[in-house]
Amino acid sequence: MTQSFTTAFIPGSRRGFVMLCILVLFSGCIPAQQSASAVQATNRIVYGLTFEPSGFDPHLNASSELGIPLRSVYDTLVYRDPANGQFIPGLASEWSVSPDGLVYTFQLRQGVMFHDGTAFNAQAVAANLDRITNPANASQKAIFMLGTYERYEIIDDYAIRLILSAPYSPLLDSLSQVYLGMASPTALAAFSNERYQFHQVGTGPFQFVEYIPGDRLVIRRSPTYTWNPPFYQPTTTQSVDEIEFRFFSDPSSRSIALESGDAQIMGELLPTDARLLAGRDDLTVAPVSVPGQPLQFMFNTAQFPTNDLRVRQALLFGTNRDVIVNTIFQRFSPVAWGPLAASTLYYTDQVVGAYGYDPTQARALLEAAGFADADGNGFYDASGGDLEVTLIVPGWGFVPEVAQLIQDQWRTIGVRAVLDSAPSRSLVVERVNAGAYHLVAFYSFGLDPALLNDYFVTGAVNNWMNYSNPDLDRLLIDAAAQTDPAARAASYNQAQRLIMAEALILPIRDYINLNAYSRAVAAPSFDVYGWFPILHNLALSSG
Amino acid sequence: MTARIVRGMLSVWLAVSVCFFALRVLPGDAISAVLLGSGASAQTLQERRAALGLNQPVLIQYGVFIGGVLRGDLGVSLLNGRPVSTIIAENAPATISLGLGALAVAVGVGGAVGTAAGSKRFAPPAELLLGLATSIPVYWTGTLAMYLFADRLNWLPSGGAGSFAQLMMPASILGLQAGGAIGAVLAAGLRQTRDADYLRTAHAKGLSGAAVWRRHHLPNAIAPTISMIALQTGFLMGGAVITETLFSRPGLGRTLLNAVIQQDYPVVQGIVVWSAATYALINAGADALNGIIDPRIRHAVS
Repeated sequence: MTQSFTTAFIPGSRRGFVMLCILVLFSGCIPAQQSASAVQATNRIVYGLTFEPSGFDPHLNASSELGIPLRSVYDTLVYRDPANGQFIPGLASEWSVSPDGLVYTFQLRQGVMFHDGTAFNAQAVAANLDRITNPANASQKAIFMLGTYERYEIIDDYAIRLILSAPYSPLLDSLSQVYLGMASPTALAAFSNERYQFHQVGTGPFQFVEYIPGDRLVIRRSPTYTWNPPFYQPTTTQSVDEIEFRFFSDPSSRSIALESGDAQIMGELLPTDARLLAGRDDLTVAPVSVPGQPLQFMFNTAQFPTNDLRVRQALLFGTNRDVIVNTIFQRFSPVAWGPLAASTLYYTDQVVGAYGYDPTQARALLEAAGFADADGNGFYDASGGDLEVTLIVPGWGFVPEVAQLIQDQWRTIGVRAVLDSAPSRSLVVERVNAGAYHLVAFYSFGLDPALLNDYFVTGAVNNWMNYSNPDLDRLLIDAAAQTDPAARAASYNQAQRLIMAEALILPIRDYINLNAYSRAVAAPSFDVYGWFPILHNLALSSG
Repeated sequence: MTARIVRGMLSVWLAVSVCFFALRVLPGDAISAVLLGSGASAQTLQERRAALGLNQPVLIQYGVFIGGVLRGDLGVSLLNGRPVSTIIAENAPATISLGLGALAVAVGVGGAVGTAAGSKRFAPPAELLLGLATSIPVYWTGTLAMYLFADRLNWLPSGGAGSFAQLMMPASILGLQAGGAIGAVLAAGLRQTRDADYLRTAHAKGLSGAAVWRRHHLPNAIAPTISMIALQTGFLMGGAVITETLFSRPGLGRTLLNAVIQQDYPVVQGIVVWSAATYALINAGADALNGIIDPRIRHAVS
């Protein structure tokens, strides 16, 4: 049995004896779950995950959690350099994009082997693309990341062409993520979709050992890995060889597991717990910014009174984001000012400071919009009652707490906020479809701002603002099609400023992945997407 | 006996049907939830729903589901395509071992404290203990125990499943609460029969106090306690949502919670089938046991 079992016997033989008696009584009912991982590697750590995703197959499932272990089981055709976000070779040694942006040609690295001994080549890439795009496999994320991808052409064993139906510049960004990681075609053929997640085979620095639902997922360092991108540092005697990921779905159990030494690294701590842990010298809190759309409320521009720009601006001026960030997020999160988190590509800081807290200005704008408080009850009047706005409040991401502070803050500017709580994702969608709302909270993750298209382009699937502006459409659609970084930067700069000039959203805070690690390990590093640790470089501390 | 089987099957069917329709009264579905923010078009959403049969009328879905259950097929998860029976089989061992561990603690604690509470001498402190055991939420005692035994003293692991050490804390916490209920019922039973004439007669004919308790007092008082133990056992076998989540254990309770949140109907329904069936089975067993102990019940039933 494991160490935890033996330590329970140490402090006193009498308790040990009693426990032994009970153990004998109950030994029959304890499942024997000490299997493959019983062979203990020397440098082994426990890494705490949070919510257990419904599936661990990166091609088919969508969660960020799955990528924390699996990013290091799979290699991708390209990587992003964590230092500057530039694309660098991965399983593709070089690539080129046709001038019309429709053909991506990849030269593949030779001599790469999957963990099961299968050779990596163009046929393997093709098998992965076939699997992801097969409608019967119902991919929840990877297939959508391929955008306008249409088909591939195998040129020879080590060259493949990807052909698009329309230019789609985020393709390389997608190909650099674990969801499009390259899996062994032999393993894919050997296991059905629902079984493959238990037998995953990639080419990465770690090989998949086992996944026991509800309990753990274990990966072990691959002895044959030599085709690493340059930011994967050489291994040393301190390098971690085996990692056991465990699921700590109850937030308060996370800091206890870390403090008691049951886990050495823990993600997604509660901000209040992280604040307490930050004072300890045996633990280090490591906040990592996650690029994408910050926590924000989208304004419904099709509904009175948020159809009026002045009302939207007033609500922005009337929100004290510093207070929200200081109290709820314990100062670990920066205030968000625009549609993109500061760590996102093509983010512009020109939106910073717009709509700083100014209740006087907020009241002036509301009065300019024609609202008055005739009955003197402290709220502006609207259609026979008080000026009211309804917020759809999802039950996660600290949105309920944020919404309560906002409700309180808007009282000062004479606006009554009605909180409509929607505890599950499908309830949020349902409320939005019903249409009777003024604001809805949302956030998303991703490095490439092309993700904005699903929200801000006219008629887009998540255009919950019901907003339509041909100028913004043109900026966003062009920027997603362009491949020239300077042109994209210029378009996104304009788009971000336009979104804020139109006051389409109320940004709150950039998302922070709040990690902590014990002094047993050296500081972990993360890739540019914020969620995924670079496990290859993970080492025990040498102290 | 046949009547009892039919009754058990009826209650399973009722529980499962209520669950089936209650799930579908909730707005939204697993597909729109899991694809939210993926960029999937409305048409793709429709295609995915159709592929899983979610676009069919509810009554047809119900027929398909019941037909499957009768053939022993609980369907597959909407989110990862895994068979529900496999998911249950994976999680049941952890739930059963937690349940049995908790049951042992509950019967031990409930029996001892309940007996004390049923006596004249120790009643006030014992009743206070029972009251505390049933009324303090598991979430609170669990967090406290975790802080004390895992964090401060470092005697026990803070969570997980597989070893006996990992079972001790959650089983004790859960067992304490179940034990409170068992003890309270036992105490009430003992008190009710305490002044019965047949006990006075037994004492009068010279039996020792212990013998009276064992042969006459306890057997007459225990029927409701056995029913309560059965009730608690059925409850424990369905999975302890809070305890499993708090102690990061695999199990049916935690699986059920995740499935409810994600609206993974087949998984929720499958676990309800399991819970209702074990519940019915355990209760039937308890009835039979009561019949063996107490002839009055045996005659009333048959």
